[in-house]
Amino acid sequence: MQVYTVAQITGYLRDILESDGVLADIWISGEVSNLSESSAGHLYFTLKDEASQMRCVLFNRKRLSVEMENGIAVVAHGRISIYEVSGVVQLYVDMIQPTGVGILHMEFERLKAKLAEEGLFEPSRKRPLPAFPERIGIVTSPGGAVLHDITNIISRRYPLVELVLAPTTVQGESAVPGIINALNALNDRGDIDVIIIARGGGSIEDLWAFNDEKVARAIYFSKAPVISGVGHDTDFTIADFVADKRAPTPSAAAELAVPQGSELELRIQNFVTAMITTLAGRIEQNRQHVDDLADTISTQVKNAVSISQERVRGQELKLYSLSPIDTLQRGYALIQHSATGELVSQISKVERGDMIKVQVSDGQFNSRVTGSKKGLQAWMKDFPSNKH
Amino acid sequence: MDEGLSFEQALKRLEAITEALQKGSMNLEEMLALFEEGAALAKICHQRLNKAELKLSEVQTTFEKDGESEEPA
Repeated sequence: MQVYTVAQITGYLRDILESDGVLADIWISGEVSNLSESSAGHLYFTLKDEASQMRCVLFNRKRLSVEMENGIAVVAHGRISIYEVSGVVQLYVDMIQPTGVGILHMEFERLKAKLAEEGLFEPSRKRPLPAFPERIGIVTSPGGAVLHDITNIISRRYPLVELVLAPTTVQGESAVPGIINALNALNDRGDIDVIIIARGGGSIEDLWAFNDEKVARAIYFSKAPVISGVGHDTDFTIADFVADKRAPTPSAAAELAVPQGSELELRIQNFVTAMITTLAGRIEQNRQHVDDLADTISTQVKNAVSISQERVRGQELKLYSLSPIDTLQRGYALIQHSATGELVSQISKVERGDMIKVQVSDGQFNSRVTGSKKGLQAWMKDFPSNKH
Repeated sequence: MDEGLSFEQALKRLEAITEALQKGSMNLEEMLALFEEGAALAKICHQRLNKAELKLSEVQTTFEKDGESEEPA
């Protein structure tokens, strides 16, 4: 046997209370009494019913969804522990709801507020979905219509992907560990671009696994971005809030996960059209340029030819002026010895009786030498070519 | 042409080629070569989209097939 101090016992009690799973996360209904507020803004009150009462303290007034006053009936959520200074067992409240709200709704609101405060729903942490995923993980039930719908939609829109199913139950007791296990199995592969977590419609109880805190955290810590498609578009689950993208239904989640094939076809076609237009334009420009060059060249060749022609004509004229034809037309004759063909330019070249050919401007005639006489006629003596 | 190109890579390359062509700062031979590549890429993209068949696989999870099938069809 041993004697303990009071502090030892209250410490021991605290350890027992705080290690109990039920007491750590508990909803308690009762009537508010002895309500008081400390200068720091903390609320102290007692929850009581016909048989018993319990001390309560609320430090964070943000989670207060009722106007607190003595006598009202509420449901408070929190953990049970012992305040060692006074040795009082009390409920450390983190949320108060009015009575009459279903427990699941209260739990939903509580978890939503808690995770929102922790930053799990922050828009800034939402990751963008890949534009062209290659491998899509699907966390859902393997037998249901949901998987069938998702497969159909993705197959129709963008069949370039591989779907990797991580089968799990999606309701009942095994759903929470099943969903978490499926998410982990996909993330462990390391090659999944985006994960769809989906379930068809159902009651709030049916969808409850998607409002579980551990599932929410598993989604938050998923390496691949997560698209949630749970229930119908009027159903909001905690999984929807924490997912990188919320789709109103499983089918919508499939549509969000992949690009639209027909839009891509159109885009590719537009690229091709743009390429052809650009290239055709450039070819037309080049053709124009070649035409222009050809025009320039042909003009220059023409000019060059006509310049040459001018020059040839000039030479021709010069040549004509030097030919004997003009001289013959003026009445002179060209005389050749008929036998030898030699030009007769002196009387010594012929003898009496020789035949000569006389060439005049329009023809020739034959003649015979009948005599010769030396010496020029008087007017010829001054002719320049005889001056020497 | 690299047949091992992913669809995304092919599409991005096609986009880049179209832009480069439209900038027009190259000669006709270069443009023609790029056009040829772009046309081949477009063909690959179309083929991939039209001929692809969705692949399905499964990862091992704790799910057991003989477990209750709870979800309504």
